[in-house]
Amino acid sequence: MSDDDVTPPDDPQRPSDVPERFERAPGRRIGDQRVKIVRRRGFRRGRGVIVATEESLESAGLGGRMLSVAREILFGKRIPTERESEERLTKITGLAIFASDNISSSAYATEETMRALALAGAAGLAFTMPLTVAIVTILAIVVTSYLQVIKAYPNGGGSYVVASRNLGMIPGLLAAAALLVDYVLTVSVSVAGGVLAITTAFPGVDPIKVWVGVGFIALLTIGNLRGIREAGVVFAGPTYFYVASIAIVLAIGFYRLITGDIPAAVPPPQAVQANEALGIFLVLRAFSSGSVGLSGTEAVANGVPAFREPSARNASIVLIAMGTLFGTLFFGISFLATRFGIQVDATETKSVIGLLTQSIVGQGALFYVVQAATAIILVLAANTSFSGFPRLASILATDRFMPRQFAQRGDRLAYSFGILVLAAVSAILLVVYQGSVNGLIPLYTIGVFIAFTLSQAGLVRHWLRERGPGWRFSTSINALGAVVTGIVTLVVAYTKFLLGAWLVLAIMPLLIYGMWRVRRHYQMIEDELLIPRATQVHLAVRKPRLIVPIARLDRSSLNTLGLARAICADVAAVHISYDEEGAAAFRERWSRVVGPELPLEVIVSPYRALVAPLLSYLDAIDDGDRSRPVIIALAEFVPSHWWENALHNQTALRLKLALFSRKNTSVIDVPFHPEDEDAPH
Amino acid sequence: MKLTNILVPLAGTAIDPDVIEYAIALGRAHKAKITAVHVIEVKWNMPLDAVLDAELERGEEVLALAEKVAEKLGAHISTEVLQAREAAAAIVDTAVEQRSELILLGMPYRKRLGRVYVGRTVEEVYVKAPCAVLAYRQEEPK
Repeated sequence: MSDDDVTPPDDPQRPSDVPERFERAPGRRIGDQRVKIVRRRGFRRGRGVIVATEESLESAGLGGRMLSVAREILFGKRIPTERESEERLTKITGLAIFASDNISSSAYATEETMRALALAGAAGLAFTMPLTVAIVTILAIVVTSYLQVIKAYPNGGGSYVVASRNLGMIPGLLAAAALLVDYVLTVSVSVAGGVLAITTAFPGVDPIKVWVGVGFIALLTIGNLRGIREAGVVFAGPTYFYVASIAIVLAIGFYRLITGDIPAAVPPPQAVQANEALGIFLVLRAFSSGSVGLSGTEAVANGVPAFREPSARNASIVLIAMGTLFGTLFFGISFLATRFGIQVDATETKSVIGLLTQSIVGQGALFYVVQAATAIILVLAANTSFSGFPRLASILATDRFMPRQFAQRGDRLAYSFGILVLAAVSAILLVVYQGSVNGLIPLYTIGVFIAFTLSQAGLVRHWLRERGPGWRFSTSINALGAVVTGIVTLVVAYTKFLLGAWLVLAIMPLLIYGMWRVRRHYQMIEDELLIPRATQVHLAVRKPRLIVPIARLDRSSLNTLGLARAICADVAAVHISYDEEGAAAFRERWSRVVGPELPLEVIVSPYRALVAPLLSYLDAIDDGDRSRPVIIALAEFVPSHWWENALHNQTALRLKLALFSRKNTSVIDVPFHPEDEDAPH
Repeated sequence: MKLTNILVPLAGTAIDPDVIEYAIALGRAHKAKITAVHVIEVKWNMPLDAVLDAELERGEEVLALAEKVAEKLGAHISTEVLQAREAAAAIVDTAVEQRSELILLGMPYRKRLGRVYVGRTVEEVYVKAPCAVLAYRQEEPK
């Protein structure tokens, strides 16, 4: 600082540390002096507050700076909270983010239906179109019902919010648990499906398919940690690419159908053999398998706040667009597959959509384009979960049913913790099931239909209670939705129970119990910490006693004693010696260096223990009065290099751990850096 | 004329974002460094280095808005708050110190006695600055 530096004038109301430095600068003319107001690093003044700038988050060390650069390259620059509105989704990116799961289902919904029906031969396959129509009709009902959810809860409803607000805590938690499980499964199933498409084209990848899948999850995690808007921009292209490529194939197919140029169906390597009689159970199983296409429908209603304003209107438009796109693609694929006589491959090497495309356009460039688009959309379907799971977890965390970390936003305004947990759990599931789609599919769908049913039932209650304009219409829509999705839930549970759905049904009560316990823990803490309203608080003025354990008299311990004297009047030093000779020597050195200024207690520990005698000493000086606060100031030597820590016995750390749970005891860590020039010599 | 440093004084008027936008366009063309300053005029009955909380906060707000405009345009600007008896003198002295080739001033559209009012600071800077001065006058409100 130069001689011209000016200290701000004294003001009793102001803390002496203003966030600026005042530097006087001369002008060209006498009297034209000016004062430059230099901000201190990392801070700038806001309205009545000091605002920490991005600079304050930057590390001064080389390692920290390198880490910061790497993080910025990987995840992008930090985004301040005030720019949250700019991070919202447009209708175009919103459709890509929230609809990729639902739209991608069109790639396998027809196949799943046909695979079950094909067991009953041609008679069974005749039910493909009726079941497709039934599923599309249910989709229309679900979409209409969710439009009601958005109308009733424009700030982001979702099944959990609707069910908990209208049906109570347990139904709400059941909906939440069902959705959380389903989001995790969506990631695992979608990624496994995408990897299957790759291994179909490149069988050499098969031995490492699990790790390819884990790699995809890692990529999706990074993409989503970059923030929802950027994820939308990155993932929008593939979603529209898939929709466009399938739409072209269907358009060509319908054109050939209308003009009578019906192509010969390309046969699969091995068609599914008919070995079952056509029965109601088979039809229901086919229906529940095809219903997998309805998953992801709830994502838009869950994520209304992620849309740009008017968010409710934009979300409604996206929901309608999503339903229309999925319905059209699913209906088109099922219709042409049945009309052209596409058969289901028993070996699962070739998909129905692949065989249909090959039949319509041959094995040219468009065929490969469609295959690539399908593989990509299947992987990206997982992206819907990456926006749905963290958002739902954050709502649950805000309601204190999940750990608070889930409600915190990361550097890019994404719910980073939720994203990481989803990635970890789905990756574990993928590894456990060795990337098998068939192994994972039976676990899928049931959760989403439980959530559908509960949210529809909740809305019926909502409309009946509110009785606003048009409540009769809204009630009937949601009642129909609740009944239909309730029936589908039972069908799915019945047909898939032994195939693995039991596992999901068993996990959900455990999750609900876990969430309830988390809430109880937070409630207990709240009860302990809460200050009653309208209570004038009197801060406790009980003076503490400060104890400084001293291992040996050196610069570090003198530094600690100095600090202790500065903050407390009642200071005592304690030294633990292994024998009486050592104790006498220490006392003698103490009287020479420190003198009688500070009281010293020397404890002889013949069993060479340090921590236990110190704790016993603290108990002894309490004299039965545990309400008097005790402060322990610990001198801690900080080596210049991290690896030098291994050369020290970490007594301070052991003491800290031992004192952590002691009542009315505070621990002050007084670090001593070897290069510290200010410490007493 | 090649520009390496452009000084943009900001008073916190509605025209500030336009001025910054224009400065960035100019700066991009010349690869020039842009510095936005806000000058707090300190009354003679107070010490020059008096800590004026409200004015300081407002000045920081004005400059934060300018930084936001720049960030949206993908540019970076430096900002500085100054205290002086007269804004014009502080602007000119800063331009001299920073070797600015151009001072880009914003001029809100105001009328006094039926004529467009230029304002004391703009007039003074025009008269006293040794470098080029460009005034960006707000368009007439419709």
